[in-house]
Amino acid sequence: MTFRDGLSLALSGLVSNKLRAALTMLGVIIGVAAVIVLVAIGQGASSLVTSRIETLGTNVLFVSPAGGTPFPVTESSLVAHTLPYSDLVVPEMAAGAKISTLSVQGSGSIDGTTASYLQLGGISLATGHFLTPFEVAQDQHVAVLGANQTASLFGGQNPVGSSILVMGQQFQVVGALNAVGQGPGASQDNEIFIPITVAQTLLSTNQLSQLVIKAASPGQANLAADYLTNLYTNQFGSPSAVSVASEDQVLQTLQATRATFTDLLIGTAAIALVVGGIGIMNIMLVSVTERTREIGIRQALGATREDILLQFLLESMAMSLAGGILGAVFGLGAMHIIPLILKTPAVFSPTALVLAFVFSTAVGLIFGLYPAIKASGLDPIQSLRYDG
Amino acid sequence: MIRTVSLYKDYKLGTGVYHVLEDINFHVPTGMLCAIVGPSGSGKSTLLNILGGLDSATKGQYWLNSHDVSQFDSTQWAHERNRTIGFVFQSFQLISALPARENVALPLVYRGVPPKVRRAKAEYALEQVGLAERLHHRPSQLSGGQQQRVAIARALIGDPPLILADEPTGNLDLKTGQEILELLQALNENGKTVVIVTHSQEVAQVCRQIIGIQDGHVVRNTLELEEMR
Repeated sequence: MTFRDGLSLALSGLVSNKLRAALTMLGVIIGVAAVIVLVAIGQGASSLVTSRIETLGTNVLFVSPAGGTPFPVTESSLVAHTLPYSDLVVPEMAAGAKISTLSVQGSGSIDGTTASYLQLGGISLATGHFLTPFEVAQDQHVAVLGANQTASLFGGQNPVGSSILVMGQQFQVVGALNAVGQGPGASQDNEIFIPITVAQTLLSTNQLSQLVIKAASPGQANLAADYLTNLYTNQFGSPSAVSVASEDQVLQTLQATRATFTDLLIGTAAIALVVGGIGIMNIMLVSVTERTREIGIRQALGATREDILLQFLLESMAMSLAGGILGAVFGLGAMHIIPLILKTPAVFSPTALVLAFVFSTAVGLIFGLYPAIKASGLDPIQSLRYDG
Repeated sequence: MIRTVSLYKDYKLGTGVYHVLEDINFHVPTGMLCAIVGPSGSGKSTLLNILGGLDSATKGQYWLNSHDVSQFDSTQWAHERNRTIGFVFQSFQLISALPARENVALPLVYRGVPPKVRRAKAEYALEQVGLAERLHHRPSQLSGGQQQRVAIARALIGDPPLILADEPTGNLDLKTGQEILELLQALNENGKTVVIVTHSQEVAQVCRQIIGIQDGHVVRNTLELEEMR
């Protein structure tokens, strides 16, 4: 039997049982579609994080204390005055909080900081102004809202001049930011920025969450990182008491996290493909039983064991390959729709498409092998007498 | 065409052994129309299956077309069945999902014949058995006699020298059975060796060689009697 005849036989076998073949393919369709969509979303999120961090420049350092390490607000001015390479030192004091207006209850992150935060880049004002040095120095209860907070508390209307309650205290909104999407750590879209002096009182703490340091150049940032690492290691007796991370390191950590997450998603999709393969094996075993007499007839007419093996193997492979093609079509379609719903970008990965295809074909081959071997090993006489 | 030498077939039943065929010796010359007759359970169908390579003898020698095929493996037998033997079964053994033309063309699929040539040959074979108008009918759309004609067309398409027929008229009414028998006779007249397993006296009577089987033994062989005379 030629390969073409085998393929023709396999396809006619599928066509004669369309519904069953379609249901059997479902597992592979879902698996392949899932791989394509999940990888696209994972890569989309990853590329967004990369571009967000890159907007900060390559000369930024993040200095944050490990749990329990004293890191008071005064550290900010200390570093600003003593660090020879720093251009800008921005303190941040962050915490989750209940945020509300008279009519809307909500939650988000408050970020106590200074007017310098705006100079770090990465954010832009939609309306009003950012915190001013005067407002920070005067402990004024003013706030700048991230885009999501503007949307949820004010329905997207201009919030400037309105009042909000943060942990029970009244703040006047002086500015609102444009949407920035996912960034390092919590999204700035969900934050409200208040003067660090007010945050100290509100949170009853003196402890900073982190210092963001901008050096004059990437080279100076490296020197600053070394300087601070030595400084805090000597001060606290341990290099891990205070983390000094460059933008590259933060990026690498985030990318590694994203990669792990993407691997996890691919693993989940792979399980769906394997389950799909088990479905194919199950149906192929049923098919072999149902067609026992046909197998006997073919053997009587000159089919070798290899011919029968090829026929059933091609049938299972055709089923998984067709499932792979349909899964790719659905996956590519979903890749364009899901980001609109989840509001997260998706980046098409040709590698994921090829991998999904290869994997689905392999699933057909591996899970079709046992039923095909079983079919090819049937005894001609027993098969011809089979009355199923 | 066919020669068997001390052919045995045993089945294991629990701890015992059941002898289906014992010391079978006969010769069917090329071009013969031969009937293997005997009561139910005598072993005649088992013998036909061994002659067709669908079953194997426990011991003994089987010569087909001057070749010792006793030790053939499954692949060798598949090729031998495809080229040398045409089968006609009592229950027709057509593939229900395929139309008549595709059923008839099946042996050529396993000979690597291109689809166009297969279709043309299948149409010609169906014409030969009077079913030129039934090319696209599935077995369920054909009468018993028509199904057996399709099976005969299928047995003929590869032009094998030997036709093995297992109770070919067993599932047919008298008139249709007669027509099928005439078809087999015509094939024999055209040079095919035809071996028919039957319990019908009418069928046996038209054959020039009759081999009688009883309890797994050859109890009668008209050819030997003729040779002795």
